[in-house]
Amino acid sequence: MTFPMPLLDRLCSFLGPDAVLSAPSDMLVYECDGFTIEKNRPDIVVFPTSTEQVVGIVKLCIEFNVPFLPRGAGTSLAGGCLPVGGGVMIALSRMKRILEVNIRDRYAVVEPGVVNLWLTNHLKPYGYHYAPDPSSQGACTIGGNVATNSGGPHTLKYGVTVNHVLGVEIVLPDGEVVQTGGPAEDNPGYDLTGVIVGSEGTFGIVTKIWCRITRNPQAYRTLLGIFENVDDASNAISDIIGAGIVPAALEMLDRLILSAVEKRYHFGFPLDAGAVLIMEVDGLEAGLEREAEKITQIAKKNHAREVRRANTEADRALLWKCRKQAFGAVAQLGYPSYCTQDGVVPRSKLPHMMRFIQQVSEKYKIAIANVFHAGDGNLHPITLFDERNPEEVQRVLAAGNEILEECIRQGGSVTGEHGIGVEKIDFMPKLFTQEDLAMMARLRQAFNPEGHCSPEKMLPTAGACAEPSRFQAAKPGRRAAV
Amino acid sequence: MIENFNPQSIHRPANVAELGDLIRRASAEGLALYPFGGGTMQHLGYTPTKPGFGVDMRAFDQVIDYPARDMTITVQAGITIAKLQEVLAKENQRLPIDVPQPEIATLGGAIAVNASGPRRYGYGTLRDYVIGISFMNDEGQEVKAGGRVVKNVAGYDICKLQIGALGTLGIITQVTLKVKPKPEAMGTLWLDNFGPKELTELLDGLHRTQTRPVAVDAVTSRSTRPEPKLAADRFSMCVLFEDSTEAVRWQVSQWKSESKYQWQNLNMSFAARYLAAFTNPLTMGLGFHANMAPSSCSDFLQATVAFSLPPHLVCNAGNGIVYGIWNDELPLPNAANMLTSLRQFTVQNHGNLVITRCPAEWKRELPIWGEPRGDWALMKKVKQAIDPKNLFNPGKFLVG
Repeated sequence: MTFPMPLLDRLCSFLGPDAVLSAPSDMLVYECDGFTIEKNRPDIVVFPTSTEQVVGIVKLCIEFNVPFLPRGAGTSLAGGCLPVGGGVMIALSRMKRILEVNIRDRYAVVEPGVVNLWLTNHLKPYGYHYAPDPSSQGACTIGGNVATNSGGPHTLKYGVTVNHVLGVEIVLPDGEVVQTGGPAEDNPGYDLTGVIVGSEGTFGIVTKIWCRITRNPQAYRTLLGIFENVDDASNAISDIIGAGIVPAALEMLDRLILSAVEKRYHFGFPLDAGAVLIMEVDGLEAGLEREAEKITQIAKKNHAREVRRANTEADRALLWKCRKQAFGAVAQLGYPSYCTQDGVVPRSKLPHMMRFIQQVSEKYKIAIANVFHAGDGNLHPITLFDERNPEEVQRVLAAGNEILEECIRQGGSVTGEHGIGVEKIDFMPKLFTQEDLAMMARLRQAFNPEGHCSPEKMLPTAGACAEPSRFQAAKPGRRAAV
Repeated sequence: MIENFNPQSIHRPANVAELGDLIRRASAEGLALYPFGGGTMQHLGYTPTKPGFGVDMRAFDQVIDYPARDMTITVQAGITIAKLQEVLAKENQRLPIDVPQPEIATLGGAIAVNASGPRRYGYGTLRDYVIGISFMNDEGQEVKAGGRVVKNVAGYDICKLQIGALGTLGIITQVTLKVKPKPEAMGTLWLDNFGPKELTELLDGLHRTQTRPVAVDAVTSRSTRPEPKLAADRFSMCVLFEDSTEAVRWQVSQWKSESKYQWQNLNMSFAARYLAAFTNPLTMGLGFHANMAPSSCSDFLQATVAFSLPPHLVCNAGNGIVYGIWNDELPLPNAANMLTSLRQFTVQNHGNLVITRCPAEWKRELPIWGEPRGDWALMKKVKQAIDPKNLFNPGKFLVG
């Protein structure tokens, strides 16, 4: 089935030619997201500026029986924006207005293309922020955060995206517009908002989001614990939680990542440390010093060489910059490509997992750097390689798979925040039984019965590795198969 | 068992296998399933009519796994809230959700009705704590969603769907919760017997305060004492702080200095002061649960106490939630008019109004689940997809 050209004409006349891309060279930009190992080109990329336009696009796609999917900034690390089967990619980047801010009722209403950090910056003068702060927040969009139920370093204390979304407006795959939730809590009925968040674009196109906004804490204490090895750092984390402290953030960087970050940002990280822990507590000033002291004692009890403090706002900002922009610093290590994994284990299994990752690195002769949300057991092993070397890519995929298998074995999950996308579809049957997946498929039927919206995402098709769906068969992508 | 409706028989399955058999049997015989735990909220919703089995889930009461250092716990759904909190307290942890009648209410039931109380302002509700759930589907199979870890986005978040679903999407068997450490210190402040004018000012002040209360409740003063009888439009307010010792001490003194009114320290639990009256089923004749934008609470309360037959009210003011009860008998037309007027107000303020309790005959006359909204059709599709034979609690919920 070739792409129906009349659809292109109809979209151009509906949206105007400035809102439609279709030249093959233009499609290159959209052939993958942050998960660069898999690529497939959309047939058309469109840039709506309103809900009505999204409705029109969806209806046209149905009329021509063409698949479609949403895309925010394309920072997905799991292939969430991969256009399986080609089709129409609905880029939300031009729907970028903050529509309303209501401080008294503590919510903001935004269009899906609003960059996460823009909202927090907009709220600064009021003493509020938007709590879910993924490291990519300078680029990722709130619509994308909703799709993957994004996390970030502050989820241990503050929760993830779904805990901060009060409602959405969604264009369903049949073109109907529905609002779920809104400014008020506890509307009777099912929590559709709660299940739309994290649905990875498979339920429709979200065109508006009601966000809970959070008052800034009165004070912070940001500490940097320097440890000889990952084991000591992991044990410190366990003891901190065991002491009844819920830090605002607990992030670990290992030696390899430290060297990259230090080269890039010159923070003053010691290059011979085995691991460092960023430990942040926040809240009311009264009592915060005692909490910071407790954490320092625990770190020292676990053989921390040193515990430093970020004493000024500028120091704190720089420390967080090092953490949040660590992935970007990876280039300093000299590898042309990297792939970020995303696994979760119960916190108490962290020391084991870090040793396991080290063994995997040696087994497959692949360098792996670690920077992650240690407080909630959410690991991000970063494999470093050259994607032009197909044999190396195979080893990277195998290493990643082994790590995820171990996460499952330790009672964890194969994705803490990046989503299943296409990358981890094969893992779904390892985490869930056939009955569990059948229930999820039923849920998807309620929203997306014809399957036009984001096909081949998140759930394995019936028969797993067997035939691809009608969309996949029509336009297969380049899959790096293991 | 449920007003004038009695299921064919009550069953108390001991395990998943027995429960599965029961479900398959009901399905084969064209019967319904009515799960319950402590039965504290059986009056909620329309009266069912389809014959079926009552399913007592209280044999599912075990703690399955409690890795306290991970701050998670996995329990069977029939455990009582009190027993759950007792287990958590041994590790100095708790589930910070104020579920009414915790000695008899079960976790599965609390989830089914999305139970909450004053602490929702500081800690959120069950959707912020349920990270994994297992439930029986319409084929008698146990299925799960979520997992045992606090960060998990694998698959659809069916945990959220089950919360407040009134048991219409399957029977919950097991739950994994995030928990929190118990706070080091608590401080409760109470202001008694003030008028409507002060109410708005106080609520705005508590929004702007430098302190960080975890509960901000306004109640009708006459609801907090049997005698003397106060006018309907007198209010009392309760503010709760939970934090480190220093932080609680600071907040108590800080709020007292910010507010020009004479707040008293309350040494008894605020639940004892006023909440118990609102959760005793024997005294309630007509009740509602209203939700709205928090800034509109004050106007809502003032309008409500102006009725000639006003209800008792508890308002979780920071969240825009108001519970109202009438202990006296009311004529249906009066009740209907009041509820209509209140519901219109809530809808104008982004919310709704659920009639949580009323005489059984009135349920045919009143919109129990509130004003229908644009997403109810989608909810019905979800119900049809997950429970196409309408086995689970048919007829009770807004999905039919």
